[in-house]
Amino acid sequence: MAGAGKRQRLALRIAAIPMGILALSCLYPIFFAVNNSLKTRNDYLLDRFGLALNPTFDNYVRAWSESHLDQYFVNSVIATIGAVILLTVVSSLAGFALAALRFPYRRFLFVVILSTLMIPVQVILVPYMRTMVGLGLINTHIGLILSYTAFFIPFSVYMMTAFYSGLPRELIEAAKIDGAKLLQVWWHVMIPLGMPALITLGILNTLNCWNDILIALLTMQKNRTLMVGISALKGQYSDEIPLFTAGIVIAAAPIVILYVIFQRRIVSGIAVGAVKG
Amino acid sequence: MTTTAQPQTAHVERARRRASKSRRAEAGMALLFVLPAILLVLVFRIVPLFWGFGISLTNASGGNPGEFIGAGNYVRALNDPNFRASIVNAGVIILAVPIFVFIPMILAILLDQGVPGRGLFRSVYFFPVVLSSVIIGSIFSIVLGYNGSLNGLLKAIGLPAFDWLGRSQTALPVTLAIQSWSTFGMGVLIFLAGLSTVPKDMVEAARLEGAKMWQVWWHVIIPELRPIIEFSLVITTIGLLTSMFGLIYVLTGGGPGTATTVPEYLIWAAQGRLNQPAYATALSIILFVITGILASLQIRIMSRNASL
Repeated sequence: MAGAGKRQRLALRIAAIPMGILALSCLYPIFFAVNNSLKTRNDYLLDRFGLALNPTFDNYVRAWSESHLDQYFVNSVIATIGAVILLTVVSSLAGFALAALRFPYRRFLFVVILSTLMIPVQVILVPYMRTMVGLGLINTHIGLILSYTAFFIPFSVYMMTAFYSGLPRELIEAAKIDGAKLLQVWWHVMIPLGMPALITLGILNTLNCWNDILIALLTMQKNRTLMVGISALKGQYSDEIPLFTAGIVIAAAPIVILYVIFQRRIVSGIAVGAVKG
Repeated sequence: MTTTAQPQTAHVERARRRASKSRRAEAGMALLFVLPAILLVLVFRIVPLFWGFGISLTNASGGNPGEFIGAGNYVRALNDPNFRASIVNAGVIILAVPIFVFIPMILAILLDQGVPGRGLFRSVYFFPVVLSSVIIGSIFSIVLGYNGSLNGLLKAIGLPAFDWLGRSQTALPVTLAIQSWSTFGMGVLIFLAGLSTVPKDMVEAARLEGAKMWQVWWHVIIPELRPIIEFSLVITTIGLLTSMFGLIYVLTGGGPGTATTVPEYLIWAAQGRLNQPAYATALSIILFVITGILASLQIRIMSRNASL
């Protein structure tokens, strides 16, 4: 038996080698981008894999101003922050009502919201765009914010409803008996109590909005977000790779920083989302 | 008797009326709280779905609403070589689904059994999942392009360069490999969650009876993971049919030819570049039906597993 245990430990140690290589491969692309973004065009052509020995930040300066990444960055920030705030408010209100209040068609409305998970953008591409045009929302920040909210709200409502259902009912009943209006209960009780879930949700929605390409590509051609901008730069800078990689690093940096800080929350939050689908 | 009871029933009646009034007020407020979420999904998703079905039965283009042509767009899809190619590509992608499920499963079991360095692996494996497909596609296009870094390396060690993304034989497999690399961390996470429910004493008992490692895996752990495997197979399939747009858009643009054109990409191209919105909506509805069938399968699997 001890022999079997020893053999298993050895097998696991051997398995750790390919698994370690896989782990390196997960980090390498970002390292590759950062490293090459610090090279001049000639340094890159001479040595694509070597370390940037004479690091220069010129590419970042050029990408930021000449390639308009500064504008794209602002557009991404506005859309992401706007949508995350709206998603937080709308999903915590709906989650509060669905989990803790009594009203007709409660289950039906919950199912309606959840079932729209089955309607991704691809499936409604043309009518969705016509809706945006009809409402005058094409190429506007508010249009993109409303779209992100509409597309990421089902999971957000699901998560907040599930979280609030797990809270002891007495907390809510007590607040109601005190004579507080329901809107006050939401603001003074449900928002503070829901904070752990709301923060996780906020991070996940930040990732989703920041990383989106298709919705922004459809509706923000004249007012590009970073991801739309980067995909356009790709064709433009095919022989200026260091400049292009600087753009990539700028576009990825907020997410990488977010992941490093909130890694545990992101991992546990996405596990919840994945199991629900 | 009646005179004393009357004020009491009046009191009860008042209280009941007050209660029902406050219940009505609560119901009204609750509906108001759900309203923004309902309005958003209604305006941006549910109405467009039905509207799209309507458009798909017409020959609408650019500005004009077009005429009713019945199933014309659907018939056209059946005869469209691009659509056929996209369905074949989707078939190839679906054939690759087991790779997307079983590699993460094996990695998760190894992590669960205590591979040295598992804490580090766990967090690093998840890193590509949080990156945008645009970022991943851009970096890989630099590495894998004909003048890219990988070919630079191959040439440096005396091997011939190869156009990984420009050849129709390799473009789709390479794209799929990148997709699998960028999402496997998610699968690992799902299986780790599933493994935490596998009874440890069962594994231990099998080991004490002298079962070899692979026997424990095959006879104890993997059967316990069956619900997760089924779940994972379905959501991976749906995911691959509706979330590869970004990668394909950046990496290959659906090419060379139609080598990496999948239904969701063709919908986008038909709507934009080809300016055939009515045809695009018909393709959308077909994709919706396919993913809808898969999703109902998912719900059935989930409810069956829940009642186990």
